[in-house]
Parts: sequence; structure tokens; C-alpha cells
Amino acid sequence: METKQPYVVKDVAGKLAVGFLKNPLTAVLGIVLLALGWIALSTMPREEDPQIAISGGAVIVAMPGATPAEVENIIVKPLEKKLREVRGIEHVYGMAMDNVGIVNVMYYIGENREDSNLKLYDKVMQNMDQMPKGVMEPLIKPFDIDIDVPIISIALYKKEGSKLSTVELTEKIKALQHKINGIDNVAKTTLQGAHKEQFNVEVDMGKLSAYHLSMGQIMQAIQSLAANVPDVKGRTNDNKLVIFGISNAIESVEDVKNVMVANYMGSPIYLRDVAHVEQGIDKQNFQDADIIYRPNGNQSRELTKAQPQVTLTVAKLAGKNAVFVAEDVMEMLKEHDAEFAKEGVGYIVTRNYGKRANEAVDELMHHLVITIIIIAVMLVFALGWRESIIVTFSVPAILAVTLFIAYMTGQTMNRITLFAFLLSLGLLVDAAIIVIENIHRHLHAHDVDDKEMDELLIEATDEVGGPTNIATLAIIMTMVPMAFVGGMMGSFMKPIPYNVPVALFASLIVAYIFTPYLSLKLLKKPDHKHHHHKKHHKNDEEHEREK
Amino acid sequence: MSKFENFIYYILETKFRKTMVIVLTAVAFFASLLMFPTKAVLAKMLPGKSDNTFSVYIDTPTGSSIEQTKKITSCVSNILSKEHEVMHMELFYAQGIPLDYAGLVKGASMKRTENVTEISVNLTDKHHRDEPSFLMTQRLRPIINKECTPIVPNTVIKLVEQPSGPPTLASIVVEVHGHNIEQSRKLSVEVGNILAKTEGLVDIDVMADDIYDKYKLVPDIEKIARSGLGIEQVNNILYLAFEGMAIATKNSENRSEQIPIFLVLSNETKRLSNSSDNAIRSKLASLNLMNMQGMMVPLTEIVEIQKVKSTPMIMHKNLKRMINVIAETDMVSQVYPLLDAREQMLEYFAKDYNVTKADFSTYMFDLNLKDKKTGEAFLLRWDGEMKVTLDTFRDLGAAFIAALVLIFFLLVIYYKSFSLSGIILIGSFLSLIGVIVGHWVADLVTEQTFFLTATSLIGFIALMGISSRNSLLLIDFAMGLINEHDMEKKRAIAVASATRAKPIMLTAVAIILGSALLAGDPIFGGLGVALISGTVAAVFVSLLFVPVLMDNAKAMDKKEEEV
Repeated sequence: METKQPYVVKDVAGKLAVGFLKNPLTAVLGIVLLALGWIALSTMPREEDPQIAISGGAVIVAMPGATPAEVENIIVKPLEKKLREVRGIEHVYGMAMDNVGIVNVMYYIGENREDSNLKLYDKVMQNMDQMPKGVMEPLIKPFDIDIDVPIISIALYKKEGSKLSTVELTEKIKALQHKINGIDNVAKTTLQGAHKEQFNVEVDMGKLSAYHLSMGQIMQAIQSLAANVPDVKGRTNDNKLVIFGISNAIESVEDVKNVMVANYMGSPIYLRDVAHVEQGIDKQNFQDADIIYRPNGNQSRELTKAQPQVTLTVAKLAGKNAVFVAEDVMEMLKEHDAEFAKEGVGYIVTRNYGKRANEAVDELMHHLVITIIIIAVMLVFALGWRESIIVTFSVPAILAVTLFIAYMTGQTMNRITLFAFLLSLGLLVDAAIIVIENIHRHLHAHDVDDKEMDELLIEATDEVGGPTNIATLAIIMTMVPMAFVGGMMGSFMKPIPYNVPVALFASLIVAYIFTPYLSLKLLKKPDHKHHHHKKHHKNDEEHEREK
Repeated sequence: MSKFENFIYYILETKFRKTMVIVLTAVAFFASLLMFPTKAVLAKMLPGKSDNTFSVYIDTPTGSSIEQTKKITSCVSNILSKEHEVMHMELFYAQGIPLDYAGLVKGASMKRTENVTEISVNLTDKHHRDEPSFLMTQRLRPIINKECTPIVPNTVIKLVEQPSGPPTLASIVVEVHGHNIEQSRKLSVEVGNILAKTEGLVDIDVMADDIYDKYKLVPDIEKIARSGLGIEQVNNILYLAFEGMAIATKNSENRSEQIPIFLVLSNETKRLSNSSDNAIRSKLASLNLMNMQGMMVPLTEIVEIQKVKSTPMIMHKNLKRMINVIAETDMVSQVYPLLDAREQMLEYFAKDYNVTKADFSTYMFDLNLKDKKTGEAFLLRWDGEMKVTLDTFRDLGAAFIAALVLIFFLLVIYYKSFSLSGIILIGSFLSLIGVIVGHWVADLVTEQTFFLTATSLIGFIALMGISSRNSLLLIDFAMGLINEHDMEKKRAIAVASATRAKPIMLTAVAIILGSALLAGDPIFGGLGVALISGTVAAVFVSLLFVPVLMDNAKAMDKKEEEV
């Protein structure tokens, strides 16, 4: 250590320092790293919570008229037994109700979703021959979180004084829904609380018995008229086509009213005589939706009374950026503002996960920046501002590398990823601090004048290489087993064991490459022949600042 | 710095002082461990987080009408309307709200009966709101339950928060397994009652269909055959009359779907005067069927009306019959109410059943019941968040042990000494003192309970690496002084501690500052607090306790062969 011989590099740390210390590409590398980080930051899919691969599905088998005990024996038990044979299924839940049996399966967390769905379908189809008689075709419905959990929900309602009918509102919304479906990466859209148009024929039971009629007769009378048939082709004598067809006998509600149901004592009985017929909405659908809101989103206004609404929900495709999809949908909605205002349609965006994800990510990015600044300020006091700049530069470089690797490996940017960064922040400045501290110590040692600056930097870096490597490796090793934690929580926490080791490893490399390089550019040997190191530490720093 | 060097040297000088340091550390360690059984520090998987939204699930008893359900819903929405922080509410009758993470596992997508309603309540932005959503639900829950539940007896109203972590069916789930349905139902109701009496548990729901009266129309086969009718015809007409059917459709060019023609009896004429077999009989008497000869046959002629009880749904889990009883925790960890309720159950069921406890596993709270009279076996299984917590803690514990072993091997390879590696491990393990005490302090200074969570454990595992780094650099430096500078052992250790104190402090401060913002987060607060307080403890341990062990270790002695 104190010989005048050229220093022999022992560790990877020293080798990296040697390789990059005078290399003009080092600066380029630094810029490229930061640029890659920036690209990852701006294009990486953002979401609030990390994706958890939950797979499962339901097999629904209807058997009209069966009691729960019957359904249990005939449908649920055999089906459960068969599904139990599928590998990867954690729990099988059976439900036997009146008329229907449902078997839900839940796969282990982390099972591949497509495979799981296929396995479920396969198992049921293979055993179709064992289906009992009198049972309807089984319905297989896989759970699909990405497609099932909407990222946006919009409540649309009629404003006061709007002349739209319920059906017209639904039609307007359906037109909007159709357009939204055309947006890139939009998966499933649904309407909740929507009512369809329907001709309601409400038969008066009293009149029915008075005219001596049955419900069956009325049904037959309507059915015989409401037939749609294609046009027929006829040929003329010179073989030209003549097309003619029967038009639908029922074109409007008036036609329904005028359906002749029966002859009673020679005089015809029309449907309007025994029933109330109207063009209305599907009354039998009790799945209504209401909204209560503050007009203009103003908190000081009173909440309105409950009024009917239709909720339009939008889900995105798996792995796509919720923020972008949400923005596109919002834009589409904006385009309809004028039309909606004219027609008296109001809307409230009741859920926007895209916005929420963006806010969550931005908030954490904000925290990250604050933390970096705090650490930088602390280092100014502890080591000096030049040293602080060097360490502070290393942080974005490390984060950029980590973020880019996360992007490349198909991860998304979510709360947990960012928490992994926050967690590693305290750890990843360590390598740089240890290297810079040792450089600092060497610069203020008494043999400083005997050495060339670059040799000194390499030596200082190489010296701490061994223990720093081992120590960082130790931290990486504490994180790695966490990747094997199973269950929901394990999946939820996955970004931590995935990203912290990468960040730590990057911190080592960055510390060995850029810390000596930047030290060469920024630090100078102090002029302090009359000082002794260590005990006059403070004086040295002041001295340095004076220069 | 030299003062510190002298202080370390002063400690290392006599055996008594060294023993004192070790004893004091051991006392601190066990005292901090004691904070668990004394409940000074409470454990929970994940704490609640404030959100901009919460949901209300309303379940009226099975067989209730949509009108009854709507009545309760409007009662609930009236109460919520008085809240200043509510921006808007969406009421979804007979269906779930658009699926969210909570609804995913709570079965919201399966809801389609008249006795359910879900309300989605959207609040003002959480950054500008004083009251976190979890306190709001805690405050509103008793008010809503007191005013609205009595409207239809046996209604369950739940206020559901968005989960801060992975979603579970409920905080507390008791699965009552047993083949005898009647007795299982009885047991599950009793379990529900015990849960309801347990402090800290709310939103108790026995997830079994309620049994209600219904009327069965038994067809008289002979009469049907004689009057020239078919059973299917009888069924169809009955359904058509009261439920209605779309019997035909009409295509339309300016509508996006076909327009159905829906046939049903008019509302006024199909309404029954009351719920009794007489009312049904008189109604059915005026409903006629036409037979093949064109003659009218009144429905009452061919069916017999019987009053029966409804048959409830049968639930299976993994091929065994089971009834779920669920409960939510009210701002407390689920561990302690669970233990309380379990104690109560042990006592309560001991009368009629032989109760045995389950073996040690992640189902370790299970109770096996055996009926004293009939010998039938039942199982009370604790699932839900508790099971997830135990699984997670078990896995994290295993990860922790794996981390310990890995570090140990790494160190043994580096130092070629078991005792030095052991010192580093012990040193890093002691940061647990800081983690526990840190949570206790955090609990004291925060308004709500500050739980030791799964993220705290992650913080602790990360700490292992950090504090082993401190000890590592310390030992490395001291060995260098002893072997290369021929320094006396005690002096070398003292000098090493004093010299390494600066970088150790620096990195510690960096970690503490880096984690300061984490500590404020509801979910990762545990991680932040664990890192901050654990690092503080690690600094003390590596600068005071580790030097003492180093001095005692033979492996630190000067190596003869190395010159």
C-alpha cells in the first residue's frame, strides 16, 4: 500500500475503474443510461397495484325443477370430483341451489391464466358424456381480472328538463359504447342499469276470464303474426327475377294492439280489449341503477335525490397502459360533450383507475426526488459538495438502469415497484458513499503527493471493492428468497425481490465506473502539506472549499 | 473520534465491562420480544388505507322483494347524503357495482337476486380530506345499522373498504364443515352469534340462505291427464302469467337490438292480497287453461297448493359441505378478536361437543367438534385474512431463514471462519430490537394503532443485509490493522470502530432519510419504521456490541502465516 510501485488491481472494482477512468465513452454511457431510464419512465405501463395472476372459473349447470339436494347429488358432486383432477387447482367450491348447480374453481396464485382456463374447459368437455339427462348445456365462465375489472366507469343520466326517453338515452349510450370499443387496447365494455325497449302486453286477468280466454291463446295469436321471413324470388316468363316478400305484420305498437285474439259470439276480440299494450321498457328487469350527486361537482351544493342512471364501464387489455387507455376514453367522452349538453345528458366519471395510477406513480416519483435531494444535502455537509454531486449523480443512473431492466422484463410501474425503489434508495447510495469516502480519505492521506491522481482513484476504489462486494451481495441475498414467497401477498410483493437486487447490483457497477470517473473530473488533490489527515478533517474540507 | 476510540477501548479492557454490554443487549432483546405477548406491539398483515371510495353491500334475507331492498337502500343513502365529504353515490339494485378488487373475491359479480344492493360511495380527494375513509366507515357503520337494519329484519349491511393489499373474502372467515346440514346451520348461527359478541368485529354475516315460506303447487297428474292438458303447459302458463315471457321479437332499423314483445298479467290483476295459500288459491281460480278440446280448465282444479319451507343452498368447499361465517375487523388487527372468539367457542361448544384443537400448521386455530350424543364430526376452520397472514408470515419467515443461511455461507467463504460469520449474523439479528421498539414508539405517536405488518418483516429482512454490511466493514478494517499494521488487538478494534463510525453513520443516515417518506405511507409505513428504527439499533449494535464479540473471538487474533 505504501510502495512506490504501480498499484496492482485485485478486485473487479479496480478493473472497472481502470477500464472506464480515461475512456471517452464513459460519459456517453452515462448519458445513454439516463436516456434509457427516461424512455422507460415515460412509456412503461402504469397501474396502481401490481398484477396478481388470479385464475379461476365457474361451471354453471342448470337443471330446471331440481331441488338443492338433487342438484348436489347429480351435478355438483360428480363435477367437483372431475375438476379436482385438474392440476393447479387450489380450491373447489360447489354450490347447489334450486334449479342450478355452480362449481367455482380457484387456481393457485401465479398459475398461468390462459392455461388454467383451457384446462378447465378441457376437463368439462371431456366429461360431457357423463352429464346426467335433463340437464342443460354447462356454461363455463373463466374469471378474468384484466377484462373483468373496469378501469373506467361513467354514470350517464338525464338532466332536469331533458326530453329524452329512457330508451333513447340507452341508445345514445350504446352508440358511445360502440365508439369506445373501437379505441386501442379497450377490452370489455358493459352497461349497468340500462333498459331496453320492449312492447309490454299486460293482460287483465278479469277480462281474460270474462271473455273466456287463456294466456296460451294470446301467446299463440301474437306469435303467429310476429314472424319474420326472408323475401322470396320469383321468375318471370323470360327468366327475370322478381322479388317479393311478406312484410312483418307487426311494425308498431298499434299493430300489437290490433292483434285479433279470438272470436267471441261472432265478434272479434282484439288484444287491446283484454290487455294494456304499450311501447315501453323491460319492466321485468329489476337491475336498476341510480345516482345521487352534487350538481356541477360542487361540494357546497346539496346532494340530489336518487335518479336513474346508466353506468358504462370500460376495461383494458392485459399488460396495457391504463393511463393511456383512460386518456383516450376521456377524450372520446369530451367529443360528445356538445351533443350531450344539447340532449340534456349529464355524466359523471365515477371511476378512473388510469388517473389514479398516474397520481399514485407521480406522488411516489415526487417522494423519490425529495429523498434524493435530502440525501444529497446530507452528503454536502458530511463530505463536501463535489463529492455530494458525484454520489447524487449515481442515484438517477442506478434508478434508470433498474427501471429500464424492469421495463424490458415486462413489469409495470406500480406502487410496489416504486416502493422497491424507495426502499433501495437508502441502500444504493451506500456503494457510492463507501467509494467516495475512501477516495476522500486517500486524497487527504500524507502520501498523496507521491501518487498520480488516476492511480490514487483506482487504488481507492479497488481497496474497498472486496468488502463492498460481499456486503452488497449479502443484501441481495436477503432479498432473493422473498421471490419465493407464495400466495397473494407473495405476488403482491414480487416487485421488491425483482427490483431491489437489480438496483443494488447496478449500484455497485455505477459506483465502480462513474465514481472514480467523476472524481477525476471534479476532485483535485488538496494542497495541504502542513496538515495531517483525519484529525484535521474539518479543516481540510474548509481548505478545499476555499480553493 | 478519539474519544470514541478510547471509550471502546475502555469497554474492551475488562471482562466485567464486556459482560455488561452483552447482558444489557440480551436484556434489551428479550424486553423487546416481550412486547408481543403484552400487546404493546400489535401484528396485522396490512393496515387500512384511506381511499376516495368505499362501498355498501346490502343483503336483505333471501326471498325479499326488490321493493323491500330498495326501502333499505334509500334509508342508507339518506344517511350518507348528510355526509359533507360524499361527492356522489351510485346505487346498483339487484347487482354488484362495477367490479373492483374488493368485489372480486367477495362475489359481487354473482349477485343478481332481488335481495341485494350495492352502493358505491365516492368521496372528496383524500389529500384534502381530514377524515380517512376507514374512520368514516367506522363512524357511519353503527348509525346505518341502527337506523336501517330494522326495516327488514335479518338484513345485513356491510361497509366495505378497498383492500390496501391483496383482497380476501373477509378479515375473519369461519368455515363450518359438517355433513349434517341442519346441525351445520345451527352451528354457523352460533358461531355468528359468538363473533357478534366479540369486541372489534363488525359486519357479521352467516353466508347461508335464509329459510322462508313458499308455496308448492303439486300437480294432480290424473286430473291433468283427464282434462287433456300437459304438465309442461301448466308450468309455462303459470310462468307466463306471473313472471312474463318475451314471446316474440320485432326487428327494428333504428334500434341497436331486437324489440321483444313481452306478455304478462297486468300488475294490478296478478297482485296477491296477502301471503297465504287462500290468496293464491283464489288468484289461481281465475287463471284458466285451454285444453285440446278448446275447453277452459281453471288452474286450481288441477293443482294442490302446499305451504313448504324453502330449501337453502348447499355449499361445498373441496368436496365437503361447508357454511361460511364472515366478519370484518373494526380498525383492529384480526389476530386478537380471533383469539378471543376462539376462546369463547371452546367454552361454548364444550357443552354439547368434544372439542379438540388442531395441530400446528397454518390452520392451527381450527377446532374439531364431535357431537357428544350422535358422534357426528364438525370442523370450525379459520380462513380468510388470518390464513393469508399466517401463510405469508410463514413464507416470509422461511425467506428470512434462507437469507440467514445464505449470508452465513457467504461470510464463511469470505472469512473462512465460523465464529466471525456468527458474530456478523448475531449482530444483524439484533436489529430486531430496533424494529420492535420502533413500532412501539410509532404506535405511541400516531393516533391510530400502528401495526407490525408484513412490510415490517420485509424491512427487517432487508435490515439483516444492511447491518451485516456494517459489521463486515468493521471486521475487515480491524483485521487489516492487526495483520498489516501490527496493532494490538483491543486497540485495533477500538481504532476500527472509531474510523468506521463515520461511513456507518453516513450510510445509516442515508437509509433513515431515505425511509422517512416511506414511514408516512399506510401500507409501507411498517417497512419505513422498521428500516429507520432498525438502522438506529444496527448502528449501536455494530459499534458497541460487535467490537466486544470481536475481542472475544479467536479468529480475530493476528494471523501468523500472513506477513
